[in-house]
Amino acid sequence: MMGIFVSRLFMGIIAVWIAFPILVVCAAALNGGRTMFFPPEDPTLLRFAEFFVTEEVWIRSLRNSLIIAFGGAALAVMAAWPIAYWLWRKADGFSKILAGLASMPFALPPIVFGVGLVFFWGYSGSLGHIWSGIISHAALFVALPLTTLSIGLQGIDRSHMDAAATMGASEATAFRTIILPQMLPFTASGFFFAMVLSFNEFIVVFFVSASAYSTVTVQIFNSLRNGFTPTMAVGAITFIVTSILIFSMIARFGNLPQLLGADNAK
Amino acid sequence: MGRAEPAAFVTRLGRSAFVAVILILCVTPFLLVFAISFGEKIEGAAWAWGFEFTNYKRFFVGADYPNTTSLLYLKFLWFSLYYAMFASILAVATSFPFVWLMTRQSRRAQTCWLVFFLASLTLSEVFVVMGWDILLSNRSGLPALFKEIGITTWLKESGWLDVLRTWGIASPRNVRFKPTEFATILTMSYLVWPYAVILLYPPLSKINNELIEAARTMGAGPVTVVRTIVLPMVRKPLVGTTLLLFVFLLGTYVTIAVFAAPDKSTLSISVYEAVRGATLNAPFGSAQAIILLITAAIILVLGRIAFLPDEGRR
Repeated sequence: MMGIFVSRLFMGIIAVWIAFPILVVCAAALNGGRTMFFPPEDPTLLRFAEFFVTEEVWIRSLRNSLIIAFGGAALAVMAAWPIAYWLWRKADGFSKILAGLASMPFALPPIVFGVGLVFFWGYSGSLGHIWSGIISHAALFVALPLTTLSIGLQGIDRSHMDAAATMGASEATAFRTIILPQMLPFTASGFFFAMVLSFNEFIVVFFVSASAYSTVTVQIFNSLRNGFTPTMAVGAITFIVTSILIFSMIARFGNLPQLLGADNAK
Repeated sequence: MGRAEPAAFVTRLGRSAFVAVILILCVTPFLLVFAISFGEKIEGAAWAWGFEFTNYKRFFVGADYPNTTSLLYLKFLWFSLYYAMFASILAVATSFPFVWLMTRQSRRAQTCWLVFFLASLTLSEVFVVMGWDILLSNRSGLPALFKEIGITTWLKESGWLDVLRTWGIASPRNVRFKPTEFATILTMSYLVWPYAVILLYPPLSKINNELIEAARTMGAGPVTVVRTIVLPMVRKPLVGTTLLLFVFLLGTYVTIAVFAAPDKSTLSISVYEAVRGATLNAPFGSAQAIILLITAAIILVLGRIAFLPDEGRR
């Protein structure tokens, strides 16, 4: 009994420790004045209107964030599919090396990749264009759909493929009728993982963006030096709510414990 | 037959083009950093290709060596390692018991926890720092709260404030968290805490309950069970997670920029300054990035050899 109480208490403390800074940010958004206070003074919802409707800077950077996150995640999924499929069908040395190299930007400290991208885009003269940001994020996050797709493909019964082949189905048909339907949840989770991380990514965008476009995270970092304004906190709330919604959707429609590698036998 | 061959050719062409695109996007940036680290800066302009070790020499002994020696960048590297090491160990040490308890709960409860941690995991470093900044700032947050409810007065009277001052987290008037190493390490460890949960979750969830129950029926207490059965089973993932978080934290930028004192700054700050910031010396910035990468690799290898001997021998 005592043990259960102690462990519950410990888990509760952890939950508070994780949630506390987030709650502080959320509460700070309600501040009526121009400065951040916690607890908020003169609570108001005016900041939400500023963030979404009236202040040009935030609307523009939110739009950029969305474009980069959506475009980057879509490209990442498109790039990950052939690699994951290749890895599953052939499992030869070449496909393994390709998968390893494609995961490199995600596995190494992002600051190094950011420096490299500055040179890369600087050479092609496209540093500071929004599409270079999209492609940068696609390269950075291709590892995520690659992982979820590989987990999904491992769950597919190869004997079904053999049966389809015996019955005369071409590889394309078998792919469309057997693999694709089973892989939809994994494709979707890969896409959403990449999208959420791209949405929140800071350092790479910080390197490749220019004053012409900036995302919400970069914008917040820039205004962070000039002192906080409560409007920034609204941005934070938007992001947190989006993340929770997306992961709840993954949990609802996919198998979150399996995706994260829990033992699925139970 | 006549149609199949061009089709196969097109497929192969498409495949090669695809592989080329992946390689160009994912590998070239790293190669560029490596190549440019040997280049030289041109005053007033950008930089030129070259093959010299000036930038590396500058990193280790300073630009003016042998006349004077500057260990400034080695100090930055040291702080990168120091913060990352403490924060990753702290995160793993505190998350391990938590994940253990979590995996003993129902599937549904586990899913809820996972959504919670995934949401906080993806939360941008910028927002995390913002939250802690409000909490730890001298004008708002905890210091103000302490003053308001009288903890500050109590600390002063009981002499604890002096103890906190020797730890560097108080000024003569009140507790002070900015800029301190304490705030830096705390925020960095917060940053990777959800990662630690996600990484420790698979190995711990695979330990089945029968084993634990068997030990319990034989009279082992819960702590004994964790110490003698669970810990040895997950030693490898524990070390692996610590090393992974460590490498991840080497590149922390926002936390350092906000919470660390300028003289205790890290390499990631000076890399940014050199590549896109005020000092503008791209080759030197690249050299610093490469050194950061090599250090990470060395520590990964050393860590594996030191803590996973059977793994290292293979």
